[in-house]
Amino acid sequence: MPPKVSLKKLARKGGLFDGVKSNIHALAIGVKYLVDPQRSTLLYPKEYIEHRPGYRGFIVFVKEKCISCAACSRICPSAAMKMVRVTEIDPKHPDKPRQKQYPVINYQRCIFCGFCVDVCPTEALYHVPFHDIVYENLADMFMTLEQFQVEPQRPAVSEGLPVVYEVDEGKGLVKRRRG
Amino acid sequence: MVLDLILYIIAYPPLWQVLILGFAGSLAIAMVAIWFERKAAARVQRRIGPYWASPALGGFLNIIADMVRYVLQQLIIPGTVDRLVFYFAPIAAFTISILPVIFIPLSPKPEFWPVATMDYSLLIALALSTLPPLLVIAAGWSSNNKFAVIGSMRESYVITAYELVAVVSILSASASLLTFNLVYIVEAQQPFKWLAILNPIAFLAAILAVLMSTSAFPFEIPESEHEVVAGPFTEYSGALYAFNMGGAYVRRFVYALLIALVFLGGWAPYVPGPGPITGYIIPSLIVVFKAVIVVLFISFLRAVYGRYRLDQALGAAWRLAIPLAIIGFGWSLFLAYIGVFH
Repeated sequence: MPPKVSLKKLARKGGLFDGVKSNIHALAIGVKYLVDPQRSTLLYPKEYIEHRPGYRGFIVFVKEKCISCAACSRICPSAAMKMVRVTEIDPKHPDKPRQKQYPVINYQRCIFCGFCVDVCPTEALYHVPFHDIVYENLADMFMTLEQFQVEPQRPAVSEGLPVVYEVDEGKGLVKRRRG
Repeated sequence: MVLDLILYIIAYPPLWQVLILGFAGSLAIAMVAIWFERKAAARVQRRIGPYWASPALGGFLNIIADMVRYVLQQLIIPGTVDRLVFYFAPIAAFTISILPVIFIPLSPKPEFWPVATMDYSLLIALALSTLPPLLVIAAGWSSNNKFAVIGSMRESYVITAYELVAVVSILSASASLLTFNLVYIVEAQQPFKWLAILNPIAFLAAILAVLMSTSAFPFEIPESEHEVVAGPFTEYSGALYAFNMGGAYVRRFVYALLIALVFLGGWAPYVPGPGPITGYIIPSLIVVFKAVIVVLFISFLRAVYGRYRLDQALGAAWRLAIPLAIIGFGWSLFLAYIGVFH
């Protein structure tokens, strides 16, 4: 025998007065924001977020500090960093060339976790505080050793103004212009 | 000879009022309403809204670009539709939406009326403005699509509930003034005896009914995107879809004109003088200004309210709006009894 279906009666919350009051309250909030909008949209090319130091953006390689330990390419969780072998002149023995390994990065795979920067024993890798760069084709995202050593330029800097987002007690997240 | 004929045709008052106020005016006001709707909702929701098309105009050109896109879009007619009704319904709905404008006086001077007499103008305008939903239902039915059929069924439910509210609450004016003549209704409200002040219940019911029956944005139950793709207009594309969408805005504008005349006193604080400038242009601008305020208020409500389900909307109609309209009607009978206007 199927169980007996019983409808549970819920008491209606509030009466006509509460309905009118809450509608007027909602309208008042709407009018308040219509008159004084607290927008937080970033007008991107005209403004850009200035990140705090420690932001994990693009990675730059300093060849002089590298000791070719390959810790960065081993710890990379997405296998974005690989070691390449190059033949170069040893500064101590200029007459005989030596072979050395240096890291290169593939930004198609990189997840900007920053493990390579953390693990590097000689601080040969560092972050720049942004990652809003567009590449026109996928092949450009493979860095060669020379490209990996050049600090990239942020395109938004030339067009826009820096802004920062701050948490305000009353208004929530607010956008402030620097300077 | 020919020039006289052309001038006569161009200056023919019904044509003039239909083309200038009805078509061009309501098109412009629909564009402003759409822009304001998007912009106001964006302001309330802490966004910016349309911006990059023309930062100086607040993104107004974005709306024009949208319209151009609608007009130039390819018109796709599915093979399974009922062709005659599919073509005919949106165009007829748009045309009939404009028609009540002929019976709306914008001046007390008889020489500027589009029709010879205004005796039953309120009744005729209301009757004409309740016609287009039937064609919307026909459009949905002819599309041979399940979403369209569900949408037109919803439209029929909503219209049944809310047209009654609209008609009863707007006709409450003629209960208190004992006339269907819109000119008398406006002249009786001079200078500040506006029915919105004397009878706020009927005014509220009328706004609510216009909001629901023209499916203004948060209450677009028939064509809600989340549930039925575009409701009765699912199979439409291009210019025919623009007709469908514009029809709702034109109906809203016509209702707003009626509300401006009946409840907000039309050209009321201003007493029209002789000549076309003081007799027609200034009073008509006052009426259109009041109507635009009503339209923009309805657009602003998009930002405040959430969408109602069909059963919630129908419950609000039969439980709240129709009693409100009947109370407003009774109140206006009371106004007539104590003789406010005489």
